[in-house]
Amino acid sequence: MVLEATMVCMDNSEWMRNGDYSPTRFQAQADAINLICGAKTQSNPENTVGVLTMAGKGPRVLITPTNDLGKILQALHGLEVGGEMRMTSGVQVAQLALKHRQNKHQRQRIVLFAGSPVLADKAVLEGMGKKLKKNNVALDIVSFGEDDGEKVEKLEALLNAVNNGDNSHIVHIPGGERVLSDVLISSSIFTGDGEGGSGFAAAAAASAAAAAVGGGGGAYDFGVDPNLDPELALALRVSMEEERARQEAAMKRSAEDSTAKGQQAGESSSAPDVAMSDVGLVDTTDKSKDMMIDDDTALLQQAIAMSMAQAAQAAAAAGGGPATTDTSMEESGGDDQDLAYALQMSMQQAAAAASAAQGSADVNQVLGDQSFVSSVLSSLPGVDPNDPNVRDVLASLQTDEGKNDDQATKDKSK
Amino acid sequence: MGSCLHQHDCEEYECAGDWSLYKNIDITGVTALNETVEGSAKSVFKPWEQRSDLSTVLASNDDDAELIVFIPFTTDVKIKSICVVGGVDGHSPSKMRAFLNRDDIDFSQANDLTPVQEWELAENIRGELEYPTKYAKFQGVASLTLHFPSNFGADATHVHYIGLRGEATQMKRDAIANTVYEAMPNPSEHKYTKLFTCLI
Repeated sequence: MVLEATMVCMDNSEWMRNGDYSPTRFQAQADAINLICGAKTQSNPENTVGVLTMAGKGPRVLITPTNDLGKILQALHGLEVGGEMRMTSGVQVAQLALKHRQNKHQRQRIVLFAGSPVLADKAVLEGMGKKLKKNNVALDIVSFGEDDGEKVEKLEALLNAVNNGDNSHIVHIPGGERVLSDVLISSSIFTGDGEGGSGFAAAAAASAAAAAVGGGGGAYDFGVDPNLDPELALALRVSMEEERARQEAAMKRSAEDSTAKGQQAGESSSAPDVAMSDVGLVDTTDKSKDMMIDDDTALLQQAIAMSMAQAAQAAAAAGGGPATTDTSMEESGGDDQDLAYALQMSMQQAAAAASAAQGSADVNQVLGDQSFVSSVLSSLPGVDPNDPNVRDVLASLQTDEGKNDDQATKDKSK
Repeated sequence: MGSCLHQHDCEEYECAGDWSLYKNIDITGVTALNETVEGSAKSVFKPWEQRSDLSTVLASNDDDAELIVFIPFTTDVKIKSICVVGGVDGHSPSKMRAFLNRDDIDFSQANDLTPVQEWELAENIRGELEYPTKYAKFQGVASLTLHFPSNFGADATHVHYIGLRGEATQMKRDAIANTVYEAMPNPSEHKYTKLFTCLI
């Protein structure tokens, strides 16, 4: 419940186009800033937050400290990425903006998002930190994005220069796995406010995750606080367990199938994948080939087999089938990145196949059409329909679906 | 810049009554810039008898001798003179600059603006020296900002006591000091410390 005026320094340099934080670094940053603004104004209604951007032609104050969330959201809208970040002048402008805050009883805080490499010297940064400390300004640093080795060291030095009785914090967020806002919620930048901060963090986690199923909420299983909504939490847990049971049964079935295919070379197993992708009119050939290069090819092949079985079910069910299996798969896919990715990709193909329909076209039927498949294969570079491996695959496909007719036609075409 | 010793023996004559302006200070609003320990500025405003007590200290950060102390009052006051007890071994401030009724003084402003009055200080461990003000300018003071730009050679500046002598009028400038209205419920402020049983 500290009465505080905060200036958020946003990095909108060219480095922010990168997509290693979803959806782009810049968008992840904007989401995080929204969260921070919400947290601050909720912990004390008289807190004010302002935003400025550091790159482009120079530091530009988008909105001076205000407690109106709507204005802040509006200011973040329609920003452009470009230029280089000027950290020192950005922080100085933030300090100036805080100096002219309306309510002098508010403490001063700067939240700095450092995504691009830090160009300033360590000595310059330390001097800047000392000046901030002298003027009673606290500094929170969110270090993400580019890391040229020195960046962490420089930012830590800056933090040590500013820190006065543990009022300043730094968070390092490596790219890839997690969403920027989620990591921030659980970090000291939120909980460093004390009890008020963590109360908001729990509420934010619940509300953010309710919007995106199974996405956010680091603290709770299903993103819903059992204290806030016990029935919803119970319903989610029950449906999750049902889905797990169903998928285990499906895995068992496809595990038996995949032992037959497991001995084949990676190249041949890419063929059914390619065939399916052509049928689904989705060009994922490059992705599938990349996946083949992965170390645990056996796991992937199992996943693909399972996804093909799933695709068969989904194609038969049409309509809402793919949609529900999509969400359930995303939930359970958190365990294994590769598995999740394979499932997702196959669901895309299956959904596309079902919708791009030859009506409620059964994928099996299309695959079973030997002439069509062989014409597709022959049109592909590097695949020879008369290659014994390819023929084996096609044979096993037919036996899976149990179509003796196609077996007979295949024998004829040999 | 005048500094005068008391013409009498302080033990016999009650000086304490004169230096009671500290009672009119709004202690919660006292802030300092460049202090090492947050809140230590409040501790240097104490009764006259405790002026030599070196346990309370307002220390500046290492390598930086500058200090700014912002003192708001509960009523408008008239300040006759100021007494400052500094630290030993060169930690005492050597200069003092005063600004009146401004709440936005930070280091850049303190160096740019002309103060209402400035004094050269001497090392004053026992608190016998007092520095009189230009009384005509120090009428109707709602807040006093003191800037100590330098000291007698140490790394940091230590101040143990700041005493103010003068009169308090009854006029208040601001009716409301600092109020936070509960615009929305905040569970962290309403923690129950005891269990209560409800009878069904």
